Amino acid sequence: MSYDELSSLTKAELLDRARAIDLRGRSKMTKAELVAALFAAESEEDTAPEEESGPMIPIPGVSQEDRVEARARRTELYDRLADLVDQSRLCEWRSIEGHGCGLPVVREDDACALHTDRNRYDAAVPITGRLGFDTWPTLFRHLHLATYDIDAIGLDPVLHEMAWHVFNGLYYDYFRVDVDGIENIPMDGAAMIVANHGGAALPYDAAMLALAVLNEAPTPRRVRVSATEIYNMLPWVSHMYRKVGAVYATHEDARHLLERGAMLGVFPEGESGFMKPVWQAYHVQRFGRGGFVQLAEQTGTPIVPVAILGAEEVHPTLGVSRRLAQLVRFIFPQQRVEEIAVFLNPVPLPVRWRIRFLPPVMPENPGVEPDPLRMLERSEDIRRSVQSALDTLLAARGTAFS
Amino acid sequence: MRRILVTGAATRTGGRLIQNLERTFDTKVFAVDDLDPIEDFSSPFERLSIDQLAFARFLLDVKPHTVVHLQTVDRSALLGATRAHEESTVGAQALFGAIGRCTTVRHVVVKSDGAVYGAGPRSPSILSTDSKPRRAGGRYQRDLEQMETFVREIAEQHDHVDYTILRLAPIFGPTIRNPLSAYLTLPGVPTLLGFDPRLQLISERDALDVFLHSIDNPVPGTFNVAGKGQLYLSRILRLGRRVPQPLPKRAFHAALRGVARSGIPLEKHTIALLKHGRVMDTSGMEDTLGFSPFLTCRQTTMVAYGRASAGIEL
Repeated sequence: MSYDELSSLTKAELLDRARAIDLRGRSKMTKAELVAALFAAESEEDTAPEEESGPMIPIPGVSQEDRVEARARRTELYDRLADLVDQSRLCEWRSIEGHGCGLPVVREDDACALHTDRNRYDAAVPITGRLGFDTWPTLFRHLHLATYDIDAIGLDPVLHEMAWHVFNGLYYDYFRVDVDGIENIPMDGAAMIVANHGGAALPYDAAMLALAVLNEAPTPRRVRVSATEIYNMLPWVSHMYRKVGAVYATHEDARHLLERGAMLGVFPEGESGFMKPVWQAYHVQRFGRGGFVQLAEQTGTPIVPVAILGAEEVHPTLGVSRRLAQLVRFIFPQQRVEEIAVFLNPVPLPVRWRIRFLPPVMPENPGVEPDPLRMLERSEDIRRSVQSALDTLLAARGTAFS
Repeated sequence: MRRILVTGAATRTGGRLIQNLERTFDTKVFAVDDLDPIEDFSSPFERLSIDQLAFARFLLDVKPHTVVHLQTVDRSALLGATRAHEESTVGAQALFGAIGRCTTVRHVVVKSDGAVYGAGPRSPSILSTDSKPRRAGGRYQRDLEQMETFVREIAEQHDHVDYTILRLAPIFGPTIRNPLSAYLTLPGVPTLLGFDPRLQLISERDALDVFLHSIDNPVPGTFNVAGKGQLYLSRILRLGRRVPQPLPKRAFHAALRGVARSGIPLEKHTIALLKHGRVMDTSGMEDTLGFSPFLTCRQTTMVAYGRASAGIEL
């Protein structure tokens, strides 16, 4: 509608139009101002799609081409996620105190992602059908009213989705994670993902591994990465790590999840993985006592070995300190840390990550307890496959940042 | 004529259980406790302490068919830690010794507590009855463990008796007054800064029903009993429109001591629960015991705070 056509309308009609597009400050505008504002809004709408994502803030160490590619990858993910929900139907769930739901329904289901029973804690269908800070008011409403259930471990689907969106910034724009072999991840049923560990005690690799499966798999699945008991002792961490989908590493929790067909992420190297100095990076340490093999055999779960390149360089470990551990024990007397990895950079380095999923290793005798030596042998086989994949990836790349 | 002996008749759950049993056909109830009952009931009440030999003689006189042992709540705040520990362990020894000798007893239903698992940073997130116990609780956890061991030993040694141990989640409801429910319904609730425990609850009606159910259907075994689902403490308070008051460790304990002085003595195992939380696997309750609670944890909370009606007579 042209400027002249707008000027010929009455003020009441102009106000109606302004209300329809929710123009701010419309009640205080004069007629001329309304015409100008409406005209500006209409012409803006025509050009809107081209600049919807806003300007790019430069990140030191990340090139402009990488940012453009990251944006393209995000758009591709958002398109894939949008297909998972049916925006034309709304969830009819109502709480006993009378709060309605009103979220879009998951495709081929009758309820939204928060109130459906099907794969509720496995498939990570975005609650409003997309990711973005503009969906957070809706998410906060459900968080505040507690309209949905958490799972037994403590996963809160709303906080999981918020963390997913926030950490996607790291995943796409900062670490520029390249993933291959995603077809090795089973799309339903239990699986155990076994990866090398790095990152000087900060669980970047756990987050990126979970995001790789969320972002690259045809339908996003949650990987429940396992954490040590230190996470249960630290304030705020103690509940947030559960709410965003991690689990405490015990056999009970792991079995509970695997028996219900969930995907478990394990770092069997444990602390010897991230305690090693940077000049020994990507020398995969022994996979503990092979307890993960025992668990996989007992529950008949395939093991997917994963090589993660990048985690061991974001915070280059220079050594370990016993003094620092003493200090931590002084502040948190419950903790039993003996050593703490020392690194100098407070901000992670912009390393380009590569994650390779290797073909799954099937259990030998599902349901049968393996003998201790066989456990060690099999865990050593898996460690070797991760090591050789890391070596290939290392040889193929130039520098860590390119 | 079915003869049922109920210990812990002074508690609200005990009193209501007796009232409900009195209404059933052909049942004679004998009630025992060393405190005055809160609820009114017409069955004969014996004021006996279960750790005295007089109680064992009473049991042998009465010759019950079913014994319901409810006197297992933590009374350390009421009686003092030593006396509570004595009553619990020596009481269990006397009770189950007498049951072993009394050949009429067919079935023992024991109220245990989720506290038997303890609550600590090394506790698994989901506890099942066959997971090995981890030392995380204090004296109460040990007492419960010892009591459960007595039950199992007696049932093993004597063929005439079998047992059902029910490990209950905290009971929460509009009329029950246990320390945790009193704490949760404070207008401003002191919580530990940076910790948000996962809790399971059972409504007071369901806590009653599970005993009535297992008296009528004697399924031997140990079962976790809790409403469906689990809630973070922050969510419970949000559902109840209570304002959490996050306090650092020392201020939190000081606040709890203040709360204790006003008549809500939170025991050590409850304070541990408020830091680390506890969720139990209740699949055994639904599959083997055949009991499913009427209210979920969320509904229990809404009903307890008076924000929804349960649709059932309490």
